[in-house]
Amino acid sequence: MKASARHHGNVTVLDLSGKITIGEGDLRLREAVSALLEEGRLRIVLNLQGVSYMDSAGIGELVACYKRARDKGAVLKLLNPSGKVQDLLVLTRLQEIFEIFRDEREALTSF
Amino acid sequence: MGRRVSLKLRSRIGYVDLVHEVAEDLARGAHFPKPAALNIGLAVREAFINAIKHGNNMDAAKIVQVEFEQNADHFRVRVRDQGPGFDWTRTTDPREGDNIFRTSGRGIFFMKHFVDRVAFQHCRGGMEVVLEKRLEPVGRSGQALRRRKG
Repeated sequence: MKASARHHGNVTVLDLSGKITIGEGDLRLREAVSALLEEGRLRIVLNLQGVSYMDSAGIGELVACYKRARDKGAVLKLLNPSGKVQDLLVLTRLQEIFEIFRDEREALTSF
Repeated sequence: MGRRVSLKLRSRIGYVDLVHEVAEDLARGAHFPKPAALNIGLAVREAFINAIKHGNNMDAAKIVQVEFEQNADHFRVRVRDQGPGFDWTRTTDPREGDNIFRTSGRGIFFMKHFVDRVAFQHCRGGMEVVLEKRLEPVGRSGQALRRRKG
């Protein structure tokens, strides 16, 4: 899993690609989001367009990031989950707790 | 007589992708469409992770055995660990109430969703998870045919 951050004013888009799975992807996601929170970034959009799939560990880490952000007074939103990732978000009902966007501009202006 | 493939692996997270890939390849070989094969791969992946983490307690000296078996009707996978087992009847629905905020506890839920049958049973020296997916009828071209309703 690869992660790179882009800053648009006070909103950060974290572009993710690859698999968010146990042992590597989940740890990288944790590190990337934690680093942004440590920098004081309070408005974060996770761009999932390049993520091919997640397993239960990846989904668990996504929830952990959501909670960590909330505890720091930050907001985490999702952008463009792919087919399988979208299926998993629906299946686990996590689409009910995350704000999910299809359009990046809309995500950026939603804060 | 169906064909059978067996893997014996140490309890290492590094083997998870390998097991997933083998499961998905064998499912494709059994003529499951790509989305169904990915689902089987994910279910086996979760069973293997479960065996390493909760069965063998991350003890790399302990073995997880994964057996793939295909007959005329089913694609069946058995994942055996060497742990004491756990009470699988006490798992909760990760979608209910505050469970949605839990950072773990979705593995068995995924298994149950991605295959037709999941069974847990104690076996000699450990615990076995059986995952079963019904095979779709296959046409001459090798493409799976849709089951007729009724």
